[in-house]
Amino acid sequence: MRPVSAPAVLLVAGLLAYGLLIGPFTSYMANKPVEEKLGFVPSIKLIKPLSADQKELMGASLVMKVLMYFGGAVGKSQDARIIGEPVDLQGMSRLLHGAVQLDPYNMDAYYFAQGFLTWDAKQFKVANELLDYGMKYRTWDWYLPFFAGFNHAYFLKDYPKAATYYQRAGELSNNSLFINLAGRYMQEAGRTDLAIAYLTAMEQNEKNPALKKEYLIRLTAFREVRRIEEARDRFRQQRGVLPHSMEQLLQSDLLTPVPVDPYGGNFYLEADGKVASSSRFSFARTGNPKGDK
Amino acid sequence: MLNIMQITLKGIFRDRVFQGIMALGVLFLFIPSAASLSMRQVTELSITLSLSLISFILLLLAVFLGSTSLWKDMERRYTFSVLSLPLSRSSYLLGRFCGLALFLILTSTVLGTVAGLVIKMAYGIYPSDRPIVWSWLALAVLFATLKYILLVGVAMLLSTVSTSFFLPIFGTICAFLSSGITQQVYEFVNSPAAAKTVSPLMKPLVTAVYYLLPNLAGFDLKVNAIYGIAPNPAGLWLTFAYFCAYTAILLGAATLLFNRREMK
Repeated sequence: MRPVSAPAVLLVAGLLAYGLLIGPFTSYMANKPVEEKLGFVPSIKLIKPLSADQKELMGASLVMKVLMYFGGAVGKSQDARIIGEPVDLQGMSRLLHGAVQLDPYNMDAYYFAQGFLTWDAKQFKVANELLDYGMKYRTWDWYLPFFAGFNHAYFLKDYPKAATYYQRAGELSNNSLFINLAGRYMQEAGRTDLAIAYLTAMEQNEKNPALKKEYLIRLTAFREVRRIEEARDRFRQQRGVLPHSMEQLLQSDLLTPVPVDPYGGNFYLEADGKVASSSRFSFARTGNPKGDK
Repeated sequence: MLNIMQITLKGIFRDRVFQGIMALGVLFLFIPSAASLSMRQVTELSITLSLSLISFILLLLAVFLGSTSLWKDMERRYTFSVLSLPLSRSSYLLGRFCGLALFLILTSTVLGTVAGLVIKMAYGIYPSDRPIVWSWLALAVLFATLKYILLVGVAMLLSTVSTSFFLPIFGTICAFLSSGITQQVYEFVNSPAAAKTVSPLMKPLVTAVYYLLPNLAGFDLKVNAIYGIAPNPAGLWLTFAYFCAYTAILLGAATLLFNRREMK
């Protein structure tokens, strides 16, 4: 029998050890805490010179890092819950701000930042400043003023400013919808319509299934709100007074079928007739902050 | 000189460098699927990735071929037999440079064509809002090639004074990294904001270094190609003239130094 050589023993031992370790190692990496996964990214002042002539690539890779991280967090959610674990929104924002410093033209960064800075992080000012920065570079792009207009109208209720941004979006896209919206956002009454128009445009252009799902759920909720608003208006036309509760509206047969809040909340009417929901259109408000049933 | 050029090209092909590039070029096949991860700019991302890959391959070629070409000949003592032929040292060095430059042009033409096909494919799957301007894409590849040819010049200059390949390789990498930021540093030092914080001695020093080091930031037309932003034609001519002047200086200095070098 030939003696087994030392290198062969080393190779076999290495392969065996690798085979045993790779499983636990992969699961260790997959279950790393959030902060570790999004990782520490050095200051942009350092990345900029180090990335030499690959700034666009570095910018795109930072955006991808955030996207993969967010996609992973959403992927872990169950039963139509949007977010299954607390997401490091601040870290995401920091990385996207870095990305546009490396490549101020990167649309993905603006598009994605707009998506979570407003709805999830409620950082409207930060989102608007980022959009203003992008508009200086992407001078042809109607999406950025469209987003800024929406933020001003829907979240900040600053209708004159919203109108100027919508006007700019209209000029760039030749889309009459924005021009019409620009006029309509002087009044609060159009808000649900605006949200539906905005989310429909976002949803149609979305390829990322996780984000598409998020938009669709919100869109369903707003369509239900719109249905209630229309029923409320018909009620007022018929009886001359506002309905004082949802129950009264449902009993009047003006609202069938019964509206369902996809976020799990209950719709109700505020004193001024405004339609609201106990979920406040967020899964976090339905008593399931972690998102599981 | 033409003979040396031929020998250089043959040598590169004999070393299977081209096969190596093609192996790296397999990465091009993954670009459309990688670009499809983007939400709103699939085509733009495919252009970014293609141009970055070309740039990276050309950088590797410029640094390693440029730095080892002369060194290898001297190490293997080929230079003795070559220089014993009726051939001046100048034409030997220039022949080597032209051979490498020709190889870079050949590589970027092949890779540029592959990149064009990849981008067309990505555009076919997800058309972008901005039209692709193919001539600007070609310009970006052309200027990237010029940039790395200039870098070959830097590597060859360093090779003429060095006895090993460490100085040319690391020197060229340092020159490449600093070439991208000299403009920023120069502008900062000369800005009113820096007047209070930067010592007066630094200003002439930084200016001297700025003029000495190659400024390769102007050769980077990626943003123009990716987002379809028109480049400034006058600026392009100026950059081309800068390339000619700087390369002439590099080759002139390299030839002078090489002529005086003692071969042991």
